[in-house]
Amino acid sequence: MPETQKFPTRATADTPQESSLQPNFVLHDRYRITGVIGVGGMGTVYQARDLHFTDVKKLVAVKEMHTNTPDPTVRSSMVKTFQREANILATLSHPAIPKIFDFFDLNDRVYIVMEFINGSDLELILQKTKDLPVEKIVDWAIEICDALSYLHSQEPQPIIFRDMKPSNVMIDTLGKVRLIDFGIAKSFDSRVRQHTMIGTEGYSAPEQYRGEISPQSDIFSLGATLHHLLTRKDPRIEAPFSFHERRIGDLNPNAPPALIAIVNKALALNQSDRYPSCAAMKADLEALRSGRSQIALNIGMAGGAGTPLSQPPMPNGSIGTSAFEHISASASIQPRWKFKTEDEIRCSAAAFKDLALVGSYDTNVWAVKLDTGELVWKFPTRGGIASSPIIDETNRNVLFGSEDFHFYALDVAKGRVSWTFSTKDRIRSTARLAHDHVFFGSDDGRLYALNALNGRPIWSFDVGTPVRSRPFVTNELVIVGADSGEVIAVSLSGNRKWSYRTKRSVISSPIVDMNEGVCYIGSSDNFIYCLDANTGFNSWRFRTNGPIIASPTLYKSLVIIGSTDGNLYALNAQSGREKWKFKSEKPIVAASIVHRELLYFGSTDQTLYCLDAESGKELWRFKTGGAITAMPYIIGDLLLIGSMDHHLYALPLVN
Amino acid sequence: MNFLRRLVGGQSGNITHTSQEKPEPDESAPAGISTGSQSSGIEISKSTELLPNLDQEENAPDESETLELSGEPIVTKPLDPDSIADLNLDGATRELTTDIETLQTQSHLIYSVASHIGAVRSNNQDAAYTFFSAARSVDDIPDFGLFLVADGMGGHHDGEKAAALVTRSVSSYVIKHIFLPMISGDSANQGAISESLIKAVEKANADLNSKVPDGGTTLSGCVVIAGMAHIAHVGDSRIYLIHRNHIEQMTRDHSLVQRLIELDQLTPEEAKEHPQHNVLYRALGQSEAVEVDTLTRRLPPSSRLLICSDGLWNLVPDQELLETVRQSKSPAEACDRLIRLALQRGGQDNITVVLLQMPD
Repeated sequence: MPETQKFPTRATADTPQESSLQPNFVLHDRYRITGVIGVGGMGTVYQARDLHFTDVKKLVAVKEMHTNTPDPTVRSSMVKTFQREANILATLSHPAIPKIFDFFDLNDRVYIVMEFINGSDLELILQKTKDLPVEKIVDWAIEICDALSYLHSQEPQPIIFRDMKPSNVMIDTLGKVRLIDFGIAKSFDSRVRQHTMIGTEGYSAPEQYRGEISPQSDIFSLGATLHHLLTRKDPRIEAPFSFHERRIGDLNPNAPPALIAIVNKALALNQSDRYPSCAAMKADLEALRSGRSQIALNIGMAGGAGTPLSQPPMPNGSIGTSAFEHISASASIQPRWKFKTEDEIRCSAAAFKDLALVGSYDTNVWAVKLDTGELVWKFPTRGGIASSPIIDETNRNVLFGSEDFHFYALDVAKGRVSWTFSTKDRIRSTARLAHDHVFFGSDDGRLYALNALNGRPIWSFDVGTPVRSRPFVTNELVIVGADSGEVIAVSLSGNRKWSYRTKRSVISSPIVDMNEGVCYIGSSDNFIYCLDANTGFNSWRFRTNGPIIASPTLYKSLVIIGSTDGNLYALNAQSGREKWKFKSEKPIVAASIVHRELLYFGSTDQTLYCLDAESGKELWRFKTGGAITAMPYIIGDLLLIGSMDHHLYALPLVN
Repeated sequence: MNFLRRLVGGQSGNITHTSQEKPEPDESAPAGISTGSQSSGIEISKSTELLPNLDQEENAPDESETLELSGEPIVTKPLDPDSIADLNLDGATRELTTDIETLQTQSHLIYSVASHIGAVRSNNQDAAYTFFSAARSVDDIPDFGLFLVADGMGGHHDGEKAAALVTRSVSSYVIKHIFLPMISGDSANQGAISESLIKAVEKANADLNSKVPDGGTTLSGCVVIAGMAHIAHVGDSRIYLIHRNHIEQMTRDHSLVQRLIELDQLTPEEAKEHPQHNVLYRALGQSEAVEVDTLTRRLPPSSRLLICSDGLWNLVPDQELLETVRQSKSPAEACDRLIRLALQRGGQDNITVVLLQMPD
């Protein structure tokens, strides 16, 4: 006894079928077998010639069913069920449904004789063509809807096709749809499968796996068939019910949004979210064909909620209601105040007590009142300020580096120098305060550790190339990126622990998940890296389509990072798989911040965005007059964001 | 009574039945079920009778034993308890206390592997592979481990061939592309570990398609480097993380019913009885391309990682896996007990378990 069986790759039986009828064999004294059309799980379909028509060559299809059961009662009941359904089909009359000519039971096998259809099924057509015109798919879909609609309207019981899939749709020589392989064979296939098998039906509706079936099941399978035709992605080799992960719009640029919406609606997981009838689906398809375009919008509104499939991404031009709300909301965002400096603001702000602090490329650090934006003090350096000020609450200092080569600690209340420290080149790295020390890098190629109280150097580590990334400090290590492309970890006493080499400069700042001991960092080589913080081993990396300048942010199990390709990516922190991405209009070089489940980030498209951190859906946006190159700063209910339009904006955070 | 001794000693204990071994006599299986359910896995003497061939590999070399002992060098000289704190013990990873016993504290991961044909099947289509390297030197080479479980499927011995081939193919790739660069100090320019793992599985899939075209297999495994687990997974074998009083399934079954459960289209109860509960939508040998789930997780101190085939998890619920592992003194004992539990419940399928335990 074989223990487990691999699922047959294609068209072969679960159990070996004896090949039965040989060519030229005359079945039932009437049908001369001329060939085999196909072999399926339940038996064989032959082509045969009907000998009752002596003068013309009338070809028929003979379907042979095996009744694999030793129990005569079961067998007889199976044959009866089969016969009953065959009888129903015999009463049907529809151009897309092949006619049944004969039905008989012979030598433990049951035979149906039906119309022979000359043509190709859609699966074969998919294999043989490179690109199916969307118009053709829509035409076929309409014809299939029509045939299914006819079946579903049968009295007293609707007939459910049950097995809608490309291989069961023939396109005949006239280009017309003909449905083949009706679900009657299904009643034979009730054996419990005991062995592990690979592969699923792919097109069946979820309720069919609960033993339920309805006209909506056919609608789902039609949706799955259309999805396959449009995307050319075979659902049998994909995760079941993962259609929404293979977006039609991404895979077939020719598919109009309205058609995508129709297919997505047919593919809703819950029956009540699908079309109520094939007639309704047909009506939408016909409207699409005749060019009436507002159906996409109608469907978008009526799509239902609660399941992933019923919330397909809305295609262009079909905006859901919520998006309208967002637009109106963003129009209402007004800054509580804005403060103009004399040059571009390239860094983040900071706040301490009632003061907001920001550095500007005008060489000054500015301190303004947090509630009004009025100037309190400013401190001029001799170079532009690109690094962000940080607050040392213990010593009441604000700490920052300047392009004048100096690192400053100013009394935060008065703006007077507490101490300064001189490096040999410009400082663009934002400092990190940890363990009572200040850590920062300089363009002079060194990473510095200073005593935060008096600025005395404890050590400096020779990196060799400019350090513009902001160090991250754990209980054991200082981790920083360098222009050489290296990510370097140095012990708290200043000795090299490990380094990891990326292919281009690392300006992005590392962030460490202290629980997991994992470090995330972007590189100008386009990748974001996940490194073991203890050893520097690279667990995974994710490629974006542009250099990464921005620093990552951690939120729950997501790593969120912007790329100069314009996208903000949210990746699963453990696997590096993309969970969502959000497209801004220009490169993103600034880090994001997450506050109360909302994510804020600025883009060089001049806009500050607020997204739902879990889903990446936009909630509102605020446009400044210049590129945004630094992370927002949040204090209380205020968000501070600087822009290259010289302004520092204070936006109220409202629910 | 070798089994008894082993269980008490808790050091070795590989139940490595291969398909060459004689299947159990048919009558022993039902007896095992009835008595086993009363004995709750404690009455060792009964179990020994019930499962006679647990002892058969008495003379087989026991890999896990030597590997498990490859820990820190144990100081054999008697020590003055008061002076221990001052000893500059090379490689000690935590502060020493005056309790001399703590010197024997495990400082590397230990593991055990066990596989059993089960009570019904006529061959064992599961395969397991383990590899572990620990070093102590000034070079600070991190511990490296590779642990794989594969559950093959396919008639005519294709299933066991598929599982065996895939574990061999993956392990040789991983050792060549991850382990060797690591110990030769050449790993700085290596790609991401998860990418190498994916390549290893893709290579194994290609090997499988060409050498055992009618076979298929699951594969769940991990590379552990310096306490970080890099997991690769395809199919419905599982990897659990057991930490303190909590068990977490880290992998997602690529089965039809699991997918239906995730989409709220089926309840877990309905899934158990579902006629298609054995249908996988992803496995090696299915097609030319294979999508591999990868995951990176730090393994906390004294946590355990359990890799098993569905022969175990179908019969032993998560909570019981947790309790059994927690109650066992060693990975070897836990593996034995888990396999016995599955056998007591019918052992309908092959059962394979790999269990790692992280140092404190």
